[in-house]
Amino acid sequence: MTEKFYYDNKIVRNFALATIVWGIVGMTIGLLIAMQLFKPAMNLGSQYTTFGRIRPLHTNAVIFAFVGNAIFMGVYYSLQRLLKTRMFSDVLSKIHFWGWQLIIIATVITLPLGMTSSHEYAEMEWPIDIAITIIWVVFGYNMFGTIIKRREKHMYVAIWFYIATFVTVAVLHIVNSVQLPVSAFKSYYLYAGVQDALVQWWYGHNAVAFFLTTPYLGMMYYFLPKMADRPVYSYKLSILHFWSLIFIYIWAGPHHLLYTSLPSWAQSLGVAFSVMLIAPSWGGMINGLLTLRGAWDKVREDPKLKFMVVGLTAYGMATFEGPMLAFKQINAIAHYTDWIVAHVHVGALGWNGFLTFAILYWLIPRIYNTTLYSKKLASFHFWIGTLGIIFYAVPLYFAGFTQGLMWKEFNQEGLLRYPNFLETVIQILPMYVMRAIGGALYLTGVIVMTYNLIKTMKSGKLVANEAAEAQPLPQVYVAQGDDKKLHRMLERKPMIFMVLSLIVILIGGMIEMMPTFTIKSNIPTIASVKPYTPLELQGRDVYIREGCVNCHSQMIRPFRSETERYGEYSKAGEFVYDHPFLWGSKRTGPDLQREGGKYGNAWHYNHLYDPQTMSPGSIMPPYEWLAEQKLDTTTTRSKINAMRTLGVPYETGYEHKANAALEEQAKAIAADLQQNNIKVKSDKEIIAIIAYLQRLGTDIKAK
Amino acid sequence: MKEVINSSWSTGSTSADIVIGLMLITAVMILCVAILMLKVIKFYVRESIHPTPFATPEEREKRRMEQEALLVLEKKKPSIWTRLMQLKPLEEEKNLVMEHKFDGIAELNNPTPAWFMILFYGTIIFAIGYLLTYDVLGFGKSQEEEYIAEIEQAAEAKVAFLSNPANAANAVNENNMEQSKDEAVIKNGASLFANRCTPCHGEHGEGLVGPNLTDEYWLHGGTAKDVFKTIKYGVPEKGMIAWEKSLSAQQLSDLTNYVLSLKGTNPAGAKAPQGNKE
Repeated sequence: MTEKFYYDNKIVRNFALATIVWGIVGMTIGLLIAMQLFKPAMNLGSQYTTFGRIRPLHTNAVIFAFVGNAIFMGVYYSLQRLLKTRMFSDVLSKIHFWGWQLIIIATVITLPLGMTSSHEYAEMEWPIDIAITIIWVVFGYNMFGTIIKRREKHMYVAIWFYIATFVTVAVLHIVNSVQLPVSAFKSYYLYAGVQDALVQWWYGHNAVAFFLTTPYLGMMYYFLPKMADRPVYSYKLSILHFWSLIFIYIWAGPHHLLYTSLPSWAQSLGVAFSVMLIAPSWGGMINGLLTLRGAWDKVREDPKLKFMVVGLTAYGMATFEGPMLAFKQINAIAHYTDWIVAHVHVGALGWNGFLTFAILYWLIPRIYNTTLYSKKLASFHFWIGTLGIIFYAVPLYFAGFTQGLMWKEFNQEGLLRYPNFLETVIQILPMYVMRAIGGALYLTGVIVMTYNLIKTMKSGKLVANEAAEAQPLPQVYVAQGDDKKLHRMLERKPMIFMVLSLIVILIGGMIEMMPTFTIKSNIPTIASVKPYTPLELQGRDVYIREGCVNCHSQMIRPFRSETERYGEYSKAGEFVYDHPFLWGSKRTGPDLQREGGKYGNAWHYNHLYDPQTMSPGSIMPPYEWLAEQKLDTTTTRSKINAMRTLGVPYETGYEHKANAALEEQAKAIAADLQQNNIKVKSDKEIIAIIAYLQRLGTDIKAK
Repeated sequence: MKEVINSSWSTGSTSADIVIGLMLITAVMILCVAILMLKVIKFYVRESIHPTPFATPEEREKRRMEQEALLVLEKKKPSIWTRLMQLKPLEEEKNLVMEHKFDGIAELNNPTPAWFMILFYGTIIFAIGYLLTYDVLGFGKSQEEEYIAEIEQAAEAKVAFLSNPANAANAVNENNMEQSKDEAVIKNGASLFANRCTPCHGEHGEGLVGPNLTDEYWLHGGTAKDVFKTIKYGVPEKGMIAWEKSLSAQQLSDLTNYVLSLKGTNPAGAKAPQGNKE
């Protein structure tokens, strides 16, 4: 007896539309910030559109809005068909869809307003974090509900990847978001300094692993064989690379922290596991490419498959480059440069972008029961997209390599060849122009695709409920033949499968994080390091709000080139009161860890007010509004209290005296500025940020 | 001290460039002609040893089909790629298809390629070796040890550099600095002043954030030795940057001489005197 039922295509269509809309939004913002890097005036003179505030908007929009919606589109389409059932609950599907879009809209509003927790790729403040958790659980509940009521006894490889994605992202998001709220839109992370950095990069790296990789591998395993009409190359390889990938990936995060003050053993684990990651990552690529064996004639004429092939190749390139960049010697040159930016964009534009486009081209005509409006336009999209990636990546590789070497170059006299950081920036500005051109080409392709898909939709009609039929799941199941094998047995037990993958991903995270959190000797304390004064604390929050960390690092590595340029290298004990850590990941401007006392207050004032006066040719935008906006001191008290709760040793009752101390320090700075003919009231935000900058790195400076 | 690197292809003389260009073109043309000649000779030799018999269109068609049949037979041999990747011939695929199908997707039971397993185990062995080297046995240098080695090496290089008599000019310091009025020195000092000092001291040393450098008043001493010292170590509490890390001793000296040469230039908009008269 076969049962009749209907697939829910409407939810798939909705996610597809969201993917396209947010894709264009995210990429347009990307183009805008790319242009700001060679033309600071492109910030439109507004604090809400400066690089520091909207760069996180770009990354979050592309990762969670564009790729996120694409994942849900792919999962909701393939899951129903692979399990021969409709989604568990239409209501949950709708809550999931609208909830996710609301989260994105909330992000689009709050990030430009400067409400940020500063953790890269997780900048959203705590109320949004909670909303993400809820919606993610809704997604998981809906997915597992669907798996439970399936009509197909075994779970296909795509579903293994979906399950691993769900459990790991849940764990990552929760651990990385543990923070203490100060107000409705401000919070401090529980962890400080080195520990915070470790959590952040464990999260950051695994966002790449379990948001940008595993769900896409799952989608590749469904859509590629469908498009090419070929069997998957190797079932054995799927098993091997799935388990090894999720086990090994979770360990590799510390390679983002090489040569920092993270304990050496943790860095080494990051390197070792990054190297081991090559084969598991490539397992997915070769399984995909070999699935196309005997179908290469189709690739030649089908743009969808072309997108797939270039996407898989980009994935292979990025996952080979990753372990290479994890080697200390290469990382020493590449880290903080545009090399890394190029590397991630090969993955984002090539792997995530191209796979998404291929799936859209395949799926939209199917759910609209029609054919693609124009194959020629799709082909055009493919070529201009590929050209865009090349134009984007190649100049940036060159820029990163050039700048990395320039930072390290000494002349005969033993002095830095380019002591002025700005020289190394000006050198690579032409590359930034080329990168923006590449981005514009890529975006053009997406707009052409949108036109093509709208035309396609108009030529057909959405099959909101697609009829299907299948045998019900047998009550008693006796395994036969291949199904007696161990892994096949596991594929029949979704809950055990989920728990097993949870255990596999927890091992790495626990071994890396527990010792750093519990063993004191990992972070030697320094007696002279004191908590921030109230004014410095407020200034630090203004620094965080403006997203300064997106361009300036606060981590001097133990290299001669860095200690010559900036001063003594950073020690773990210096950051014990830094909730959150602000080490940064890219230097568009110089490091600020030893900025305190290097220049006078007047220099900082002028530099913030109009960077070009103090550093001719600088690409930093002017921060005039800091001199006009009044510092909000009503929060000082709750901030001091929150910090104390987190273990910062402010004496009891200090919160009552804090604002008086703040005013006193602010007045001293304003008076000093007055002496240098700068008239500014002591209650402005610029005073606080100057106080913070002047404090940086002074605690361990020899007097 | 700008190095002049001749990066263009030009010899400097136009006529010589033209001659070289023409010679290159001629050489390429001779090469092309030689290749063509070789082809003609080869064809001639082949035809004179095995002349191609005259054939009717039917005969030619028949021969072509025979050739194609031969090609098909030859194709059975696996290509280098197939052998390298250890792939099974496509014809054997039907034996590898697994019983299950998911939404019409079949899976093959191909073994994982041996090269893949070698890569997999190879990286695991490498990783274990890496951890042992750096964090268990201590063969590898820690980042702090690497840093110390780097600094020591630089110190040695500096001693070697200064002990070379040709670099004597760089041995100048705040104790042996002497004023010079040499025009070349002043000019070099002026160009160093242009970008680095103007944001604070003004284009002509008239003073902006920093003090006026053209009057007779000095905050930290006006002798050549004093000025050298101020530029070298800076006065951080007043916002004057230390320049010792970015300028060589000779450059510091040139800059000092330029600053001293500004005295009495009376630029427009000069800042009021600060410090003591000297």
